[in-house]
Amino acid sequence: MAEAQAPLAAVKVEALVVMKIIKHCSQTFPTAATGSLVGMDVEGTLEVTNSFPFPVVEMPTESHFDNAAPNPAAAAPRAKSNVAYQAEMLRMIREVNIDANNAGWYTSANMGNFVNMNVIENQFFYQKELNERTVALVHDVSRSAQGSLSLRAFRLSAKFMEAFKDNKFNSEELQKSNLRHQDIFEELPVEIHNSHLITSFIHQLQCPAAAPTDLPVSLSALETSSFSKSTTLTPNFDNLSLSIDPFLEKNCDLLLDSIEAHNTEVNNYQYYQRVLGREQQKINNWKQKRAQENATRATLKQPLLPEDEWQRLFKLPTEPSRLESMLNTRQVEQFSRQVDSFVSATTGKMFAAKGNLLPGETAK
Amino acid sequence: MAEDSFLHLARPLGPVSVGTAPTTAPLNVVIQPQAIFSILDHSLRRNADQERVIGTLLGTRSEDGGEVEVRSAFAVGHSEAEDQVEVDMEYHKQMLALHLKANPREVLVGWYATASELNTFSALIQNFYSGQGDGTWPHPAVHLTVSTEAGKDLETRAYISAPVGVTAERAADSAAFIPVPYELRYGEADKSGLETIANAKDSEERSTSVMSDVEALERAIEEVLAMIDRVSRYVESVIDEEAPASTAMGQFLLNTLALAPKVEPADIERDFNNHIQDVLVVSYLANTIRTQMELSNRLATAQLTLGGGDATGTSGEGNQRNQRGGKGGRQQRQERTATEETRA
Repeated sequence: MAEAQAPLAAVKVEALVVMKIIKHCSQTFPTAATGSLVGMDVEGTLEVTNSFPFPVVEMPTESHFDNAAPNPAAAAPRAKSNVAYQAEMLRMIREVNIDANNAGWYTSANMGNFVNMNVIENQFFYQKELNERTVALVHDVSRSAQGSLSLRAFRLSAKFMEAFKDNKFNSEELQKSNLRHQDIFEELPVEIHNSHLITSFIHQLQCPAAAPTDLPVSLSALETSSFSKSTTLTPNFDNLSLSIDPFLEKNCDLLLDSIEAHNTEVNNYQYYQRVLGREQQKINNWKQKRAQENATRATLKQPLLPEDEWQRLFKLPTEPSRLESMLNTRQVEQFSRQVDSFVSATTGKMFAAKGNLLPGETAK
Repeated sequence: MAEDSFLHLARPLGPVSVGTAPTTAPLNVVIQPQAIFSILDHSLRRNADQERVIGTLLGTRSEDGGEVEVRSAFAVGHSEAEDQVEVDMEYHKQMLALHLKANPREVLVGWYATASELNTFSALIQNFYSGQGDGTWPHPAVHLTVSTEAGKDLETRAYISAPVGVTAERAADSAAFIPVPYELRYGEADKSGLETIANAKDSEERSTSVMSDVEALERAIEEVLAMIDRVSRYVESVIDEEAPASTAMGQFLLNTLALAPKVEPADIERDFNNHIQDVLVVSYLANTIRTQMELSNRLATAQLTLGGGDATGTSGEGNQRNQRGGKGGRQQRQERTATEETRA
């Protein structure tokens, strides 16, 4: 489209897509699951109306994930065979009137550990190759298991796209572009939308047959009656649970991993600086020597030796990319926000539990 | 949902090829919500002139074949005229192949239609789906009807079929549909999703946003309060002799009340303090780590602005080293809290 479009401002996800993503992600948990989203872009709101999972392909580990554990599912969205699969699937679903426009992709996460190269490369691939107006939906399986659904939409910012295209991640370029870890992703608000039929279906689920109910005759009759079965939409009280240790433990583990990654990056960088310093020392020595030599040659009236030969003789080490540490910082930020939000809910719950068990204490 | 009771009858069997013995065991159908949602979505997207749409159901079958779990569905194009029906079988096959590639564990279990009516065409399609070769043979194919007529309740029915008909030609387009019980079941993982979706059910624009942790907690507490309210209203009305009393109900409530734990106040105090400290320490540490890392990155990219060269380089390095020392200490503390938690 030629005319300038309003930037994507929000993502509207159909209930169907939510359920499909949940199903796929929890089925493959704890391995990552990825799939494709289709939908339509309506005046700055991306409406995601359907989705389908990607098959897991065995692919040779690509060279630029030298240290990452090979994870075929995480890299699936940009694998060659899946591009074909996606095209085929889009062609098929167009025939049954589903909006067959690519709207992005989804991935599962475990405790918010989704900020990594795979996600970046996938989203970059989508925004660059397929369609600029695509999003990555991240469904956090372990956080959703705690009671409240965690589904977030991300895009790479234009600034980051620019930098990533040319791989401009050394210190100088970063200063120039003033790119910071907060600028990697743009988060879009997610809205969940139901069709009329689903609305009526859910209403029906919650008030089953409006027949007058007789009082149960015995305790066992009450326990076996349809009301105490959890087949209908019972209220979800998972988020009232007081078990906090597993969550904190997991978060601590993840944070420790991040610290380790950060240390590795810092070490790499220091190594680079040491090597750089040494090389520069050598170059300076060489230059001095050459200058002396030239001075003697000048006094002896001999032709001067070229002074810029050092560029051929010495090779300055390339600066390691700062991208990894940027991502790491973004990841840690994600973790700490997660902990914050968890703590805010938990302290409330804990004080409530205490007040309940020790009624006298709170009265004081 | 329709509350039907079921009597299992062995269905009549068709001509059996030697060696394969189809089962006559009772069948129970379990439907997962995403399959229903798919069907409803398809029904919304039907062509204007179509009364009903059909599609393929996929899922798993328990080992003895006694339970079929419908996990997903996809739409298949078809057209119905006065005296003939056309189903895009090529499409069905291709789509099935594509679907199985991504979900190798699911198999074809049957088909759905979005009208409760069963007619000759239904029988024809049913015979295709339950047939040998491409169909579900030797297991029965499940036919699910979800009525989506405007203004009426959604009605879901599940059927399997048995062949009837005197001659081979007649048998091809007739089938005895036998209703089977079905159950809507969702897993733990679906619960939070469904809850969020259900949030939107009363709003005018049929949409909702994803809740944060605290909001979810608030909602849950409100719901519990409402439930307690309801129960105490009931109990009061029983005491006032306005509502009929029930021993079972009273017993049940008493049992529930007895669930409240009895713990020593000192224990509660201790546990509470331990836990709240853990929580706050982890939160504090997480934020400290975040700040430290950000600072370190800022310093790393900012050092060259000071003029470049060796002097600033080393000072930057020194900075980083300091920081690393600080972090090392912190890391140990962090590990200590982590182990504390494991003990707790």
